[in-house]
Parts: sequence; structure tokens; C-alpha cells
Amino acid sequence: MNKKNYSLYGLPEEIKFCKKCVISNQRPNNVVEFKSKNNQKKGIQFSSDDSICDACKYNEKKKEIDWKEREIELIDLLSKHKKKSGYDCVVPGSGGKDSAFTAHILKYKYGMNPLTVTWAPHMYTDIGWQNFTNWMHVGGLDNILFTPNGKLHRTLTSLAFKNFLHPFQPFIIGQKIIGPLFASKFDIPLIFYGENQAEYGNPTDDNLNPKMDEKFFSKNNNEEIVLGGEPISKIMKDYNYKLNDFEPYMPPDIDELNKKNIEQRYLGYYLKWDSQECFYYAAKHTGFRPNSERTEGTYSKYAGIDDKIDNFHYYFTFIKFGIGRATHDASQEIRTDKITREEGVNLVKQFDAEFPKKYFNEFLEYVDISKENFFETVNKFRSPHLWTKINGEWNLNKKVFKS
Amino acid sequence: MRIIARLDVKNNFVIKGINLEGLRKIGEVKNITEKYYKEKIDELLIMDSVASLYGRNNLFDFIKGISKEIFVPITLGGGIRTLFDIEKALNSGADKVSINSQALLEPKFLQKATQNFGESTIVVSIEAKKIAPKTWEPYKFCGRERTNINLNEWLNTIQDFGCGEILLTSIDKEGTEAGFDLSLLNSIYNKITKPLIISGGCGKLEDIKYIYENYKDTSVALASVLHYDILNIKKIKDLIN
Repeated sequence: MNKKNYSLYGLPEEIKFCKKCVISNQRPNNVVEFKSKNNQKKGIQFSSDDSICDACKYNEKKKEIDWKEREIELIDLLSKHKKKSGYDCVVPGSGGKDSAFTAHILKYKYGMNPLTVTWAPHMYTDIGWQNFTNWMHVGGLDNILFTPNGKLHRTLTSLAFKNFLHPFQPFIIGQKIIGPLFASKFDIPLIFYGENQAEYGNPTDDNLNPKMDEKFFSKNNNEEIVLGGEPISKIMKDYNYKLNDFEPYMPPDIDELNKKNIEQRYLGYYLKWDSQECFYYAAKHTGFRPNSERTEGTYSKYAGIDDKIDNFHYYFTFIKFGIGRATHDASQEIRTDKITREEGVNLVKQFDAEFPKKYFNEFLEYVDISKENFFETVNKFRSPHLWTKINGEWNLNKKVFKS
Repeated sequence: MRIIARLDVKNNFVIKGINLEGLRKIGEVKNITEKYYKEKIDELLIMDSVASLYGRNNLFDFIKGISKEIFVPITLGGGIRTLFDIEKALNSGADKVSINSQALLEPKFLQKATQNFGESTIVVSIEAKKIAPKTWEPYKFCGRERTNINLNEWLNTIQDFGCGEILLTSIDKEGTEAGFDLSLLNSIYNKITKPLIISGGCGKLEDIKYIYENYKDTSVALASVLHYDILNIKKIKDLIN
């Protein structure tokens, strides 16, 4: 094992924690997943004195925004798109609290007629399926559920796991292109997402713009497309697929989107976003229910509960970046004044390192790997500057709490 | 029937969740307790419901200020883990304490507690969730963790070890305003030998009336309907008097 103090992902070698929340400077920004060939990331930005993260700064800024003004902007935008017949906007989502809120409020408060579109999770949980169907049945919305070819999706998930320790990647790709894809197909020029990812620490300039960067969903040519860390041509050869099989993963053509004037917006730009309030709203209006017990790796019951792979996604961010699900949840709840930093630190200490046992066997079967290979793969992705093995046990070198 | 206001408290604020999830702030504890006291509530149940989750208990000093001005029985709960915690709670002005997670971790703690402080001081709080048809389980840590204990067996245990009252919260109904969990209540009602407080789901006057008319020795704990001004205490009392 190389003892040198370096990050496998090109993230800062010196680990620092935000003084307001519990996130560290190891949090990577969103990457364009279908172009991603290696594992190099850019991290969350900290203030010049390195004490406050971008996400916290943005949440402070949010308090100064004139939300009345923003709502007028929204109404103005919607009035340009509103149609007497047919759908006038697309809302991609899972029927979790955020998309449930977005679609429902657009329809029932702002008078739009949204078509909701869903890229199916890898493996639905019972509560996820219940919330998804309630979104339409209780919430009163129309939906198209798109389920990709399970064989190929598993191959890609397995590759993304082995190459990146990022089994969620194929889902993220699908989730990002499903909106533009159907907008283009049905000639609906407006797509609405919920909160901007910058709420969580992508460059805050993203928040000054209500539109989503086109680089996240459109391609210029097919050669750019890399899935699970490997070019499509190689996957076709190695696993005997045809080019046609990859159709769902092909991002819509940028020229076509431009020609049709399709634009993507974040509702979080126009309405003050509070994830937990989305939960209350969804519980009241779309029959959304929290999980029956807290999610492994964290304390909450209401976020990211529809896919059995989700728990592994966060466990792997803990391995790669030292940032587990409790860190993610607590940071977000500190920023929205739900909990204090002290409480957040305590929750990270209790839950961040928890291994997701509940769906472990199903995960192994899904990515087709043995238990031994699983841990071997996981351990390959521990950056030396984050982890040290002491008496056979892996320990984080720097934690937000006192051990 | 006693009408009990349930105040879930976190850091000086009354909060209100749904299915024991969420930390929405309703208002400052002091203002809300005073309001309900003036409106002639029978009792107050003040719960730091996330105390066990966060491994702390800090309500003691806090209720000192409240108990000096409010002269109805106060039950304090959340993060009660030792006999010393109970003593501190009582010295701070609480009349009773409610215990959940610690009892589940160490059932004999209830025996020690009742021996030291008397049965009437100890309320056992149960957060019950339906896990299969006609089967419920008591949860710990603010409805977040399973215990794999059968609710019926748990009721036997706590009644054997001793407690003055049982506070039964339905996680499935809590915060939904969809009515009390009658199937849960029916499934355990005959096994209860102590005064019972049913909590979770009240949404309208008829919900309370139904409990009053059909379940002897049963009181109700109310939160959403009071916090969101859906019902007022005087009307509730007129109904049952």
C-alpha cells in the first residue's frame, strides 16, 4: 500500500470541514456522467479563509433573496408556456418529496398541466413504489414510467461499481436525460426540476441562473459517450450488445433541443426551497410516506428511500470521500436551520460509517459479484490521505467529531 | 377523560412531524404552554422526542421556568436514561416522566424507577408501528429503529415491571390528522390494566368523542389539532362534559 498522502480523485490533500455544516472539502461537484472516463473530481469550494463551504454561503444568500419577486418571475414564465390543451411542462422525478412537491404545486397552485416522467430506480423499495404510485393516484398527476433494459442496466451498474465505485451512475445518467428526451418527443418546451444541486455545494453561480447547464444533458456526438467508465463500443464487444440497446442512454441532440427551444428550469430558483417542507407538502398532497425506519447510514426517514442501491451510493461516497449519508443529510438540515452543527456532528458520529446490511445480498446479486470481491473493490477506492488501516481495521484519518 | 397537549420539543421550540419524521417549528415552548394552560388544558406532555437520537437530555433547566407559572400536571419525556435523570426531572418541576428507548434497552430500568419514585410517576411511552397484519412493534429512538419485540409481549413486560400510565403513539397515524389508530387500540385495549393515553392522528372533534364514548380510562394526547388551530380546547371539553 502506497503510504503517500494523496487523493485518488484529485481532491485537496488537506482535509477541512466547513465551520457551519459538517461537509468537508472532499465533496466532489457534479460531473457530466456520460463523459466521465476517469475518477478525477473538482471539490466543493470553500471561502477564501477555507472555513465556510459554498452550499452554506448560498443558503445564507437565500435569506436575502426577494422571493415575492422570484414568484412573479415564475408566474411570468409559466404564463408564456401555459396551454389550453395538452401538456405544458415536463417534471422528471421519482415521486419522492421533491418531485412530488414540484409537479403538484405547478399543477394545483400555478395551473400548469405537467407530464411527470420517471426513470425507474435500479431496484424499487416497497415504500418507493408506494410513494411513486401515490404521486399519481393520490396527487392527481399523469406519469410515464420508463424502465430501461434490466440486463444492460445491470451490466452498466456493475461496470460503474467496479471502475468507479459508483453504481448509481447509470441511474443518474437516465435521470438527467429522461426529461429532455420526453420533452423533445412530445414537443413540450419547458422542463422543471426541483432544487438546484448548488444547494448542496456545486458552484454557487449555478444558482444565479434558473436554467440547467446544457452540458449536463445533451451531447454533441455519440463518440463522447462513455458508460460505467468504458466506451460504448467496448461494452458492445465485451458483453455482446447492439448499439440499439444503448438507445435510452443516448442524450438528446443539442441542436434538436435548441431548435425546439426546450429549456430546463429549477423550481428552487423561483420558490424558497426547503427539502423538509417538501416532505410535509408531499405527505399532505400526494400521499407520500416516510420509510418505516431510518435509512442505514443516516438518521432520516424521508429522503432517498426508493432505490435499494441508494444506500450503497452513499456508503461508497463515505469510502471515496469520507462523506457518508449522515454527513450529507445533517449538512443540509443545518443549512435550513433544522438542526444545530453540534447535533449534526453527533449524528455523523453515530451513523455515517454504518454499513448497509439490509440489501447487501441483493446488491451483490445485482452487480454479480462475490462478497470477497465486493470488499476488495471497495478497499481499492480508499484514498491514502483519508484512510489508514490500523490492526486490520480501516480508520478515517480526520473526522468532524472527536473520537 | 383527560385532554393532554403533547408538545414535541427541540431546542426551545415546539416542533411537529408526520409519522415521527420532520422538525417543523411551531413556536416557542413558553408561549405555547402558556396558551394551552390559559385555555384550560388538563395536562401537558413535553417531549424532547429526539433526545435519545441525539444522545442528550437538556429539558430540565428548561422546564423549570415553565413549571413555575403553569399549574397543571407536566409529564417530561425524551432522553430519560438514569434514575438521576428522573430525579432531575422531578426537581425541575415535572410531575411525571415518560420513558421509551431506555425501557426498551433495559426493561428492568422500569422496576428500579417505580421502586424509587412510585408507579404514578412513571409513564411508559410506546411508539408503535404496524409491521404485518394485526401485528405491531414498539420502536425506539423517535420511531426510527425497530426492536423486534412484539407489542403484546412488551405490554406484559412493562405492566409487570411497573408503570403508572401508558402513552401509546401510533407512528402510522402520527401527524396525519386522519383519526386515531383504532385498529391498534382495539388490538391492545383488553390487555391494558393501567390508565392509557392514546396519541397520534386526531383530526376532528368526533375522533375524541369516539374514544370518550367507547374506551373507558383512556385519555387523548393532542398535537397537530392544537398547534394548527384546528380544534380549540374549550370545544373539546364541552363535548366530553
